[in-house]
Amino acid sequence: MRRNFAKAYLLLSPSLFWLTLFLVIPVLFIGVISFTTNGDFGAIIYEFSTEAYTSAFSSLYAKVIWQSIWWAFIATVVCLIIAYPFAYFIAHSGKWKNLLLLLVMVPFWTNLLIRLYAWIILMNNQGVINNVLLDLGFIEEPLALMYSPGGVILGLVYGFLPFMILPIYSSIEQLDKTYLEASEDLGAGPVKTFLNVTLPLTFPGILAGFIITFVPAISVFVVTDLFTGGKLLMVGNVIRDAFLVEMNWQLGAALSLLLMILVLLSLMIFMRFTSRKDRKLLV
Amino acid sequence: MLGVQMVQLENVMKQFDDTYVVDDLNLDIKSGEFLTLLGPSGCGKTTTLRMIAGFEKPTSGKILLNGKQVDELEPYKREVNTVFQSYSLFPHMTVFDNVAFGLKMKKVPKEEIQERVTKALKLVQLEEYGNRKPKQLSGGQQQRIAIARAIVNNPKVLLLDEPLGALDLKLRKQMQLELKHLQQTLNITFIYVTHDQEEALTMSDRIVVMNKGKIEQIGLPYEIYERPQTRFVADFIGQTNILEGTVTAINGEQATMKFADQVVEIPNTTDVTLNEEVYISVRPEKIKLSETPFEGSINLKGTFKEKIYVGSVTKIVVTMANGQDITVNESHDKIDELTNTNDVYVSWSPKNSVVLKK
Repeated sequence: MRRNFAKAYLLLSPSLFWLTLFLVIPVLFIGVISFTTNGDFGAIIYEFSTEAYTSAFSSLYAKVIWQSIWWAFIATVVCLIIAYPFAYFIAHSGKWKNLLLLLVMVPFWTNLLIRLYAWIILMNNQGVINNVLLDLGFIEEPLALMYSPGGVILGLVYGFLPFMILPIYSSIEQLDKTYLEASEDLGAGPVKTFLNVTLPLTFPGILAGFIITFVPAISVFVVTDLFTGGKLLMVGNVIRDAFLVEMNWQLGAALSLLLMILVLLSLMIFMRFTSRKDRKLLV
Repeated sequence: MLGVQMVQLENVMKQFDDTYVVDDLNLDIKSGEFLTLLGPSGCGKTTTLRMIAGFEKPTSGKILLNGKQVDELEPYKREVNTVFQSYSLFPHMTVFDNVAFGLKMKKVPKEEIQERVTKALKLVQLEEYGNRKPKQLSGGQQQRIAIARAIVNNPKVLLLDEPLGALDLKLRKQMQLELKHLQQTLNITFIYVTHDQEEALTMSDRIVVMNKGKIEQIGLPYEIYERPQTRFVADFIGQTNILEGTVTAINGEQATMKFADQVVEIPNTTDVTLNEEVYISVRPEKIKLSETPFEGSINLKGTFKEKIYVGSVTKIVVTMANGQDITVNESHDKIDELTNTNDVYVSWSPKNSVVLKK
């Protein structure tokens, strides 16, 4: 037994090395910095202090963190609602499959900034959508498509939709079609087959899509920057500003750690609602 | 019950791209019958089964189930159930929920579901496995669950698509008998698809031999084996020797024909006519080897070419004077008795020859 463990660690050592170098050590740095004292012009004075946490827990920042999680959650749910039928359609589109997948992948490969600028042209108060609606007489004055929580969520959905579509698509694609035939054979029509067989068997794809959409969506700051000009904040904006604008590395580090803990907690809560088997299928 | 037409296929055609995989099929299957569709892969047997189940729609023709036309009906509206080749047990459900699925879909009351599922699991001797997941069972057990999941619905017809293909030989033999007994107990019509001729002979009431989308022969297992009507059937079912001959006379039930320098009278089972070129098929186990010809038998002279030990018997390939090889199954003792293997007679009774049209 002992020798087997040694062998396992030996085989794992390359990945353990990279994980230590690029994950554990940086997180430790952040942890240490968050407990130091803030000096003039952002200097780090190595004296123990919990000041960063005191301000991080203040209602102002707590509200931003909560808001980020909430917006990211809504955006993820909207992504899921759009992505599932979309992925289902692609998986059943026969010879068009590859073309449709390419159409999903192209924005995925394009920089988010560029894609968001394109949306600004559309959604601006003087943008295409408002102008068309005004000209057609549907509205009297421009709609506030941007500069609103709705705009932020729209930006998040748009930015992260491919992350949701791809894992769901792959789980639908890999679903053995004979399960569906077996279900029909046993008297289940298309709706019952979908609810009883397709949906539970593609759940690992939904779970994977949910996690890889939700986690980065919480901390993204370009959407709020571009769509609200910094009027609305997500925790990503606050952390960036703490590091780069206020030169308060301690606060940035504390917020980063808090965010990490909150994300892990929310994933754990999410996992609670999923059966053990589904998680096993995912890994 | 036996005698009522349960499944009727009338001029059923199925076209995929440019080829007819099922070509003008006519077949009546009686209630309570164990019917096997037998043929090589690509002969259209599985497509036929899938059309009865409803997964494929015939290009033309009619399918009747218990007198009612069903060929446009969706699978979930047909009173048939299928045992799939890959079992297709739902991996996210327990064994119990798998078996209960069909009943739940039909909104059968809970107590009745409990009762019927328990009974079905008992029937396949797996009543204690209800809480397991399919993945936790062996291949043979999964197979039984797949059968239980189908028969629990009391289908009019049970369709089985090579259900024993994935099992090892010993388990397969055992399951063949179990399935046969199950069918007799439940008195459900079974339509069984296989490419394994021995399996078909063991289990079936009737066998339909298919080739290239058409029916070659329908008959009792005995008829299919002993009295094949085409060269394909003779060749596909068991092993056989095919000789070429010409009909020289016909006298009532008998036909005289000439082949390999022999003139013999053999039963005319396939209505051959005078001067017709025919095949004569003779099974290896019907042929004897000896150093002297037998009275009243067909005797051909030849030399040993090859000896293949297959366990229960030894297969001997003998080359005739005209260069053709004939395979003979003989006991090991008999072969040991032969002294001169360069000069032997292969002999068989004329009644063991089967005449086949070219």
